[in-house]
Amino acid sequence: MTRQHFHDELQQLEAAALGGLDLVVEQLDRVMEALEHRDVELAQFVVVDDDRLDGRYLEVHQGVLSLLALQSPVAGDLRLVAALLHVIKNMERMGDQCVNIAKLIPLAGYEAPVREEVLDRILRMGRAARSETIQAKQSFVMRDVGMAEDLVRQDRDINRLNREVFRMAIEVGTDADTREWAMHMVMVARALERIGDNAVDVGEQTAFVVSGLFREFSDSSTPAKA
Amino acid sequence: MSATALRPVSPRRRRADRIARSVVFAFTAVAVVPLVLILYFLLREGLGAWSSSFFTTDPTGRFLGDPGGIRSAIVGTILMVALAAVMAVPIGVGVALYLVEYGKTGRFAKLVRYFVDVMTGVPSVAFGLFVYIVLVVTKVGGTFAAWKGSLALALLMLPVVTRSAEVVLNLVPNSLREAALALGAPRWKVILRIVLPTALPGIVTGSMLAVARAAGETAPLLFTAAFVLGVNGDLSQRMNSLPLQIFNDVGQAQDRLVQRAWGAALTLVVMVLLLTLIARLIQRRSKLAA
Amino acid sequence: MTGDPQTEMATPRDEATDAPRGGTPVELATSTIRRPPPAHATAPGIRLRGIDAYYGDTHAIKGVDLEYAANQVTAMIGPSGCGKSTLVRCINRMHEEIPGAHAEGEILLDDLDINTPDVDVVAVRRAIGMVFQKPNPFPTMSIFENVAAGLKLAGVKGVDMRERVEQSLIGAGLWDEVKDRLDKPGIGLSGGQQQRLCIARTIAVEPDVILMDEPCSALDPIATLKIEDLIQDLKERYTIVIVTHNMQQAARVADTTAFMLLGELIEHAPTEKIFSNPGDSRTEEYVTGKFG
Repeated sequence: MTRQHFHDELQQLEAAALGGLDLVVEQLDRVMEALEHRDVELAQFVVVDDDRLDGRYLEVHQGVLSLLALQSPVAGDLRLVAALLHVIKNMERMGDQCVNIAKLIPLAGYEAPVREEVLDRILRMGRAARSETIQAKQSFVMRDVGMAEDLVRQDRDINRLNREVFRMAIEVGTDADTREWAMHMVMVARALERIGDNAVDVGEQTAFVVSGLFREFSDSSTPAKA
Repeated sequence: MSATALRPVSPRRRRADRIARSVVFAFTAVAVVPLVLILYFLLREGLGAWSSSFFTTDPTGRFLGDPGGIRSAIVGTILMVALAAVMAVPIGVGVALYLVEYGKTGRFAKLVRYFVDVMTGVPSVAFGLFVYIVLVVTKVGGTFAAWKGSLALALLMLPVVTRSAEVVLNLVPNSLREAALALGAPRWKVILRIVLPTALPGIVTGSMLAVARAAGETAPLLFTAAFVLGVNGDLSQRMNSLPLQIFNDVGQAQDRLVQRAWGAALTLVVMVLLLTLIARLIQRRSKLAA
Repeated sequence: MTGDPQTEMATPRDEATDAPRGGTPVELATSTIRRPPPAHATAPGIRLRGIDAYYGDTHAIKGVDLEYAANQVTAMIGPSGCGKSTLVRCINRMHEEIPGAHAEGEILLDDLDINTPDVDVVAVRRAIGMVFQKPNPFPTMSIFENVAAGLKLAGVKGVDMRERVEQSLIGAGLWDEVKDRLDKPGIGLSGGQQQRLCIARTIAVEPDVILMDEPCSALDPIATLKIEDLIQDLKERYTIVIVTHNMQQAARVADTTAFMLLGELIEHAPTEKIFSNPGDSRTEEYVTGKFG
């Protein structure tokens, strides 16, 4: 095949960008564990390790610019390159959300009062966000639009859980420490919900690469069609 | 790269080099020496015959006394060769145009090309004999006549003109023809306005060389224009010519006549040389313009 | 900048008859500003229907249907030997000049089929001009004579030669560079200038359509860009078809692009679509460089 070198580079770039999503999943796992076990040191590690994601962002970004300047990609290759720019942005945001959660853990206190029903929902949200991220990456790798659209369904669960956490926080009672902890949990839930949205965005990029059309999947900002 | 590849030239190669060079030089000398000798002899024997009366008086035909000059021969050559050129060049160029622009690789064109090639190999005496049998013996328009000599010369020139014109016309880049056709020109205009003007210097050169060759031919004129002493300027009569004059004088016993032959030969060579030089100049000027 | 086609191009037209207005060079040069495209097309388009072309027995073009929209630039792309040059040469019937070659099918210029024996091929070529890959100014003629050659060869009479030559050179973006040496030989110009001279020669005859067969292949990048700019200007007055093996050039210059492969038309679409989201997978493979 002609332009073998170019297509190899393009493949490597895609692998690097999608590999960033694997890094996100790692970060997510760590921060959820830190949250569950109130592990402040693990939380600190997550904050520091975000540098890796930032590095991956810069690396892929530079690679895209280089490819555009030197190889003039067109058609499918061009769409892929544009999508990769979006994907790494999403990846970076997801990493930042993990850092946000990690920073909330020491604030929540070592001996924080814990409402099990709230924590349970948070952990479920974490698992859902994890599976959404993995599925988003898979859909991109396989160029599977159906799998990408399915992300919307999963995302609805996270959104529902987010609303439940919010309601529970309102009704958490009068104890100041508990209320403070609940506020922090609301913020954690919000961060997880944002991770889910970013995963859906990655799915939209998959659809764009395949079809050449950019379409917003129904998400929390647009009401789902019946 | 290994050092062995950068060795100096081996003595064996140097020797082979030298042998090759010597052989080539030897061949060149073999070719050039006779030419130089011819020129030398021409000058040595012929210059002595040159004088003002040499060019201004006709041969008297007398063996004793004043033999006269070669004026009628010069005039005759010029007139007959000019007529031959007028006949041969347009037709020759026309044939070349047909071959290059219309016939190209067709079967008839190939046949024509073959015949033209054959004609270049026909001995000049054959042309003379042909005209003799067809026109002189049958007494068409008199017996011997200058125009019949011109005809024989023209037949001689025709294939030479055609061949050289064909080469030059083929050198005209096809892109020029395409450009002219694409502008909406009919084919004849493309040929007349673009192809011919571009090829003109080369065609002129080729024609002049053909003329130079015809000027020196004796055999075609022997039986056609024949021999006469005076200048008459009448192409329907016999006419003198330089080759014939030389032919007649060379065999005579008198030294002065033989010397006149040398002088005539030198004159002919100088005329041909002038023509060739002019042809070269035209070629070089056209190259400079390009 | 001298000879900048952006400022030297459009000839003002008489509003009533849409014929070009003459004037002194100063008037023409200073009256140009970028005009919006005319409200109606001023050049006809060309429609090809069922074109089959042969070199002897070789079937080179197979059943091509293609429409060239008026006053637009259409690029023909495809790998070597796909037939794009052959097809374009059928349009002005230059294909049949090759011994043993012939073309069948309908070529409709303004609803008149020009690919029939009773249409004068010479008239066709006056309406459809051609610019070739290697610039080919006539070597025995001066710059002026080269531009006028088209008119003289086509037998056009009653035209002010000086004015027409000037307009054409302005239209080709060459006037400023050569106006002081119109009598110098045409072949004394640089490659890019020679090609613009050939373009001037072509538009002097005032065709409706201009065919360009890889016009920039033999030129350096700057000359190429100048001619590409010129093409953008020319399309206001002519319909343009450009054959190119340089895909970036097609992307820069053409409104629509047609992709051919092995004598067949594979896809014809707006250029942006061809290079961002082509419909046929073969087109995608070609433009992304997976073959060819």
